[in-house]
Parts: sequence; structure tokens; C-alpha cells
Amino acid sequence: MRPVSRALAAIAATAIVVGACSGATSSPSASAEASPSGGAPSPSAPAEPVTLTYFTFSAAPDHLADLDAIVQAFEQKYPNISIEVQTAAYTDYFTKLQTQVASGSAPDTFELNYENSVAYASSGALLDLTPLAAADTDFDASVYYPKAYEVFQADGRQFGVPEQFSDVLLFYNKDLFDAADVDYPDASWTWEDERAAAEQLTDAANGVWGHYQPIQFFEFYKVLAQNGGSFFSADGTKSTFNDAKGVEAANWLIGKLDKTMPSDAFGPDQDSALFKSGKLAMWHTGIWLFPALADVPFAWDVSVEPGNVRKAHHFFANAVVASATTAHPEEAWAWLRFLTSSEEAVTVRVNASWELAAVADQSLFEPYLSQTPPDNREAVFDALADIVTPPVIEQQSQMQDIVSQALEKARLGQLSVEEALNEAAAQVDALLQ
Amino acid sequence: MVELARANPLIGTGTRKVRWGRLVSRTVIYAALTAGGLAMIFPFLWMLSTSFQSAGALLVPPPQLIPSPIELGNYAEIASAFPLWRFLANSLGVAAVATTLQVATSAMAGYAFARLRFRGRDALFLLYIATLMVPLQVTILPLFVEMKYLGLVDSYGALVLPSIASAFGTFLLRQAFLGLPRELEEAAFMDGAGHLTVFRRIVLPLAMPAIATLAVFSFVASWNSFLWPLIIVNSPDLMTLPVGLSNLQGRYATAWNLLMAGSTVAVVPILIVYVIGQKYVIRGVTLSGLKG
Repeated sequence: MRPVSRALAAIAATAIVVGACSGATSSPSASAEASPSGGAPSPSAPAEPVTLTYFTFSAAPDHLADLDAIVQAFEQKYPNISIEVQTAAYTDYFTKLQTQVASGSAPDTFELNYENSVAYASSGALLDLTPLAAADTDFDASVYYPKAYEVFQADGRQFGVPEQFSDVLLFYNKDLFDAADVDYPDASWTWEDERAAAEQLTDAANGVWGHYQPIQFFEFYKVLAQNGGSFFSADGTKSTFNDAKGVEAANWLIGKLDKTMPSDAFGPDQDSALFKSGKLAMWHTGIWLFPALADVPFAWDVSVEPGNVRKAHHFFANAVVASATTAHPEEAWAWLRFLTSSEEAVTVRVNASWELAAVADQSLFEPYLSQTPPDNREAVFDALADIVTPPVIEQQSQMQDIVSQALEKARLGQLSVEEALNEAAAQVDALLQ
Repeated sequence: MVELARANPLIGTGTRKVRWGRLVSRTVIYAALTAGGLAMIFPFLWMLSTSFQSAGALLVPPPQLIPSPIELGNYAEIASAFPLWRFLANSLGVAAVATTLQVATSAMAGYAFARLRFRGRDALFLLYIATLMVPLQVTILPLFVEMKYLGLVDSYGALVLPSIASAFGTFLLRQAFLGLPRELEEAAFMDGAGHLTVFRRIVLPLAMPAIATLAVFSFVASWNSFLWPLIIVNSPDLMTLPVGLSNLQGRYATAWNLLMAGSTVAVVPILIVYVIGQKYVIRGVTLSGLKG
């Protein structure tokens, strides 16, 4: 009796250990079934009910009802397809998506921002939409804003369709401009005009600052472009952001600090709080803040951003894509197309101020353009004349961290701007190897 | 006594000196502890205060610790616009089941490692303890794949299963069992008891403090767990509180007052568990040298 129960207990203990350890051993079978479908649409009976999953970061928490409206319109048009929506916050979204994709259970369709879309496409995780678009006779790619459609191509393959875009403008507090008797910003402004205005507008005694622009990767590649510089050499093998133009661009960001721009070490959302409380005259920020500023107790407007050598504006675009592993490529294509370009979907977005669909037909934006403030909503589209997309490499997040950290060191005065950029360039070059 | 004091006046002043010394050192200690305590509680107070502020009031610098006016609507809004009770119930259910099972498996394994003799026991134990050094982030992908093949993705089972065996729990209880007097068990064996009886009737009752400690730790860990539930669960119906709350964060702007109201609700159960199990938590840290 005793030896038996002893053996049993030992087996039980072993089983527990094995159970816990098996979590640590990697399973090679995971990648085996990664890409069964090579893009050729499988023949499927249209009447058969199909459920597609759609994973999104842009809906929760404010636009769940809007997405629901789009889904319902889609399901009415395609009664055999139902869409199952999954949401996660932007900060957690990619953690979850990565696990799902790597384990071969990616959602059928999902959302990607531009930088990540490049990485996912090159890893082979995304379905090539080119044959599906070609087979779809009443589809015309010109329904999209052309540049927005093109940025989601690689090696002649369309791996995503543009869902929405936003850009960054110069927001300004009209009341502060009036009080200081300074002319409002316009399209002719350059950095120098902004600097001069900011100096006049800064009123240290009352805690009013001239302008605010975040000091990080995304602002840096844009001001670099405004200064006529480029992030990488033409063949993409070497960093060039540490040349004279890059140094000047970084100095433009950092030089304003504590003179006309508040130190940004004061926590997240504080720039927003400062502007809303009427203590910030000019603010470089995204058009997604229009709704949040609707009720502020002062007059404000927007303008295209001042350039230096040339103008350059951010173009933040999200694509919707289909997983290479989806069992229903044709249905996925129908959903992606509907979600991004159907009049129903575009209208829901416009009415909800839920970013902007990347469609070319400007008449659909009439309800958006007629809303005020800001009066100069046209600037949102004017800015598209000279857009830049972020430099993208495989180790995107490392590169962004390196550049942001270099700017941080320069900002804190630990290194000179030149030293910081040279150090960052050497580190980024090492990533390119 | 009086005479003695008169004869030797130094005695009186001596004690006074000692008293003064003690008073000063006490004051310093209490001042330091108070400062530390305030620093610890400040984030919680801020959370509480934010949860009672209106969205507009939050943006007026400088930040106000005492909200005025006090906005009670945040709690009503979060409970109506958001399946808060469902998330709360999920969290409670998962934490209760995971804790119960983890305590059970840890106690059995701990007993085996403490009292049974079998070939390779210590090596096995060492191997098991070594898994404490492998962080969840490393094992999460294989774990996900495992769940996929078990057909458990997006289910309660997947939420509970990975935490039912715990190296930490096994270690904690093994140490506790080793500290129990062997004589009691030997006496029971003499009376004809088997391992099961000894385990149930002698070891478990004697090790109750350690078991309570593990229960508190395991409950707190399950309650706070975020990464695994985030990844394994897709349906809102199955989301636990931390995952549900994270969905309140928008990409560009977050309604902090609502998020903090939700967080306050999330903190209350854990606070209750802590208040009840406080002494076990402290004992657990001193016993194992580990913090959960």
C-alpha cells in the first residue's frame, strides 16, 4: 500500500512539473501551417454562411457603435457573411496580434498602422490582395486617395487597403494672437515666422507659452524633411539624418525649449491641458483632436505647418489587411473593400468625426468640412499636397527608440545635438546591417 | 528605593536620558514611516480623487486633489456604458477557481517533495524551481499554441489552466511542510495511517498559515494578471477586469476619470483580501523571501 501511494504521489508531482515545463518548450509545429493559401481565391459557394473575425484598435472605446453600424450595413448587403469584432487598446493591440499571428491563429482581417504594415507584409503574414482586386470587376482603385492606396504596396503586391488617415497641423489660439497683436499663421509661414511669433506670444509672467511641438522620432523625421534632409541614403543602406540638415532640424525642435516652448517633462496629455486652458498659443498636433477641442472657451483655428526649405506634413494612415491564413479570402476582400470605401462606411465615419476615410471623392467630406471650429478645415486636405511617411525598417521600434533617446539626451544637455545624432546614426546603421 | 535614588542622583538622570533617546529615535522612525506611507498611498488617493472629477475639471492646471464639485456620475456611467459587473464577475470567478486549484496542486506537490522519497526527487524539485526564472513573456507563445491545440482559445478554461500549477506555491508549501515536526506524522503512521490521511489530517491543518499565505498571493496574482487574459480572450463576455479596463484607453485621448472609477472598483476586492490576509502576506514574504 505504501509504496503504491508513494509512487502515485511521485507521478502526480512529475505530471505537475511536466505540465508547467511544457509551457517553456517551443512548439515547432506552430509555424508549419503558417501559409496554406497562396493568394489564389478558393472557390466557395456564396450562400454558405461565413464568419469573419475583424480585430481593431481604433474602435474602442468611443466608436464601437459606429463600427457596429458599418458592420450591420455590410451584413445587410452580404447576408451570408457575419463579422465578429474584437477590440483592444492601441497600446496592447500589437502584443496580442503578434501572438495570434505567430501561433497561426491570426484574425481573418485586422487593422495595421503604416509602419507595422510594412513589417507584417515582409514577413509573409498578409494576404496578397492583388488577384482579389483584379477579379473584382466593379472595383476601381481610384476610389481611394491615390497616395494612400500606393503606400500599402510592396514588390508589386497590394497587401492592404487604406482605411483612414490623419495628419498634423498647426493649431493656434486666436485670442492669444489677438491679444499680442500678432498675425495669424498662414500657408506662407516658415520656421522663422513661427519663431518670431512665438517670441512675441510667450508671456512668462502669465504662464503663456508660444508653441509646443513634441521632441521625438515622429516630429524629427518630419522637420528633417521640412529642412530638405532625408533620413536614409537613397539606397536605404545608411543613415543620413545626422548630416548638417539633420542637426539643424534637431536644433529647431530642441532650441525652442524653455525659451518659447514649455519643457515637455511634465507628463502625458499636459500639452493638451495647456492648450485647452488657453495658455498655449501654437500647438503642433493631430487633427484627431478636433472633437476634443470643440468646446474650449476661446477661438482657435488651424493652419498647414510652417516649413523651412520645403513643406512637409505627416501622413498617418491605417490599413486594413487580411491574414494569409484566412480560410475565406474572397469574403475578407469584400469586407475590407466595404469597410474602407463604401459610401455607408465613409458617411458613418464622417458623421462621427472618426478620422477620415482615405477616399478620393471630396464631396463625401462635405459634412466634415462644414463643421466648425476650426474654420480652416480645408487645411486637413491642403496638407496632403506634401506628405511624408515615416522611414521604415525591419527593426522599426528599436530604430524609433534610438532616435527618440538621442533627442532626449540632446534635450537634457547630456550630449550635444551633433554627438547625439552621430551616436544614433551609428546605432541605426548597425540595425541596417 | 528613594534612598538609593538620593544617594545616587545619576540613576534618575540616566533613565531620563534613555527615555529622551528613545523618544527621539521613535519620532524619527515614525516620521520616516509616515512619509513612506504617504508616498505609497498618494497614487491611490489620486486615483480616488480623479474618479470623482468631471472630465473638464481634470484639465485645469494645477491638478486638484480634492475634487470640487464632486462628480458621482463617473461610477454610474462606467456601470451603464460598460459591462463592468460582467468583468468583475469574470475576474472573481477566475481568481477563485485558479486560487483553489493552485493551492490544491501546490499542497500535494509540496508534500511529495517534502516527505516522499523517490529517485531524482531533489533534481526534479530543482528543475521545477528553475521554471520560476522563466518569465511569462517567454512562454506565452508556446502556451498560446498549446491552448489552440486544446481548443481552448477564448474560453474560461484557458484563463484558469496555466495558473493551476505553480512552482512558487509548491516551493512555499514544501518549505512549510519541512518545518513541521516529523514526530507527529510518524506517530500517525504507527497508528496505521497512510500518506493520504497524514496529508489531510495532520500536515494540512498544521500548515494552514502557509496555505492561507499562498491563497492570498495566488488570488492577488490572478486578479492583477493582464498579459495572458489579454492575449487568450477575444470575446468581451470573457474579459477580466484589467483587460476590460484597458479597452477604455483610446488611441489619442483617454477619459481618465472613467478609467480611474473603473480602477477604483477593481482595487476594492483586492483591498479586502489584503486586509483579511495581511499577516499571511507578511509571513509569506519572510518565509519564502519571495514576493508572490
